[in-house]
Amino acid sequence: MSEPHTLAGAYALDAIDDDLDRRRFEEHLAVCEECAQEVAGLAEAAARLGQAVAVEPPPGMRAAVMAEIGRVRQLPPAVAAPGPAPRPAPIRGRRRDTTARTRRWPRVAAGLAAVGVAASLVLGVIAVRTQDELERLRAGDRQVAAVLAAPDARTASGSVSGTGAGRGATGTVVVSPSQGRLVFVSSGLSTLPPSRTYQLWRIAPDGVESAGLLRPDGSGHVPPVIVDARGGVEKVGVTVEPAGGSRQPTTQPILLLDVQTA
Amino acid sequence: MGPRRPTVRPGDGGPSEHREQAADGGLEGLLVRVARGDHAAFEQMYDLVAGQVYGLVLRVLRDPAQSEEVAQDVLVEVWRSAARYEPGRASARAWVMTIAHRRAVDRVRSAQAAVNREDRAARLDVRRPFDEVSDSVEKSLELERLRRCLNALTELQRESVTFAYYDGYSYREVAELLKVPLATVKTRMRDGLIRMRDCLGVDR
Repeated sequence: MSEPHTLAGAYALDAIDDDLDRRRFEEHLAVCEECAQEVAGLAEAAARLGQAVAVEPPPGMRAAVMAEIGRVRQLPPAVAAPGPAPRPAPIRGRRRDTTARTRRWPRVAAGLAAVGVAASLVLGVIAVRTQDELERLRAGDRQVAAVLAAPDARTASGSVSGTGAGRGATGTVVVSPSQGRLVFVSSGLSTLPPSRTYQLWRIAPDGVESAGLLRPDGSGHVPPVIVDARGGVEKVGVTVEPAGGSRQPTTQPILLLDVQTA
Repeated sequence: MGPRRPTVRPGDGGPSEHREQAADGGLEGLLVRVARGDHAAFEQMYDLVAGQVYGLVLRVLRDPAQSEEVAQDVLVEVWRSAARYEPGRASARAWVMTIAHRRAVDRVRSAQAAVNREDRAARLDVRRPFDEVSDSVEKSLELERLRRCLNALTELQRESVTFAYYDGYSYREVAELLKVPLATVKTRMRDGLIRMRDCLGVDR
């Protein structure tokens, strides 16, 4: 996984078309205020490019828009303030309003929505969930569902022992070779101080790669993480790293799950 | 309201130039009123941003009918989501343009647009986005400055930024088109935008 920072330009240009890439970058933004500020500045610069190509809109558009807003209910202000802990309750509530599909994978959906909303709050610029973005969340959701439902899906679970960070938490991987993906889910991860983060690692014979940061909500849930399972992934591990994550693990894993014996 | 724009910006040369100057920094104020359901504020706001929204969407999508539909959606979305705007995080204009760009790109990447992709790639080969931009840029000081700032980028930075922004290409597609490694494109996009930001004096 390359340095997340380098994606700031592509992100500000809406040039990341891979949902997983973008989600990871948004997770990173949620914990990296400096990066969020950089993205905001780059988005301002990009907006100037947009201003440069202004043209007179079609004559009927104004009336059509004015008619339409008469029928559209405005969103209330965001309930949760930007802060280290996303508040799950209003997020779930809002999510349920927007889609009926959440019933099947309620926790998965709430988790996915929480990531999106947290990133939005940090970004501000992007504080709008368009229908298309919801579609993207659903696409991620479908990937999770596809792995979980695959005929060759196997699981391995473990829990965090000891008295350190994350004690008592459990983690599970579900791996599907036919899908080429694995899904990592966990629960009971305690909230860390703002200076630290949980980070997920993909461990293969040719090295260890970050699979993203884990940001538990107030009740210890984290959204399911989809990980590329091709290329002989052997293990998946969780470490506690400095905020913003590390390029390689700098501490002993608190959780290590063996994918191959799953 | 932060000390976002200490200097008076020239307008875009469009029909609403003098109103834009009056409302500069006032766009944020309008958006706050829009969030409270103020129709009159929304109409004022429409007049200030609709041309830019439609122009940007048209630039990305190329098709006037689709662009009108998407631009309409964007403006309705501005109405719907105004309460989510945080003045400290972005200028109102960037907030609106971000929604517009995202919607346009989403449309480009949707399944129905995918079939046109080869067509778009073919056009791209003969098109020179920067020259096109230059054409429409002569009208005002600010656009002149934009042109100068775009000119200050390296060719690869400029191409990476404009292919992504004006054509809705992903960085992977840009890498393929320009025959350069992915990491290079990512870096050029970021460096290019940073240089643009600094050159334009975007105050954040």
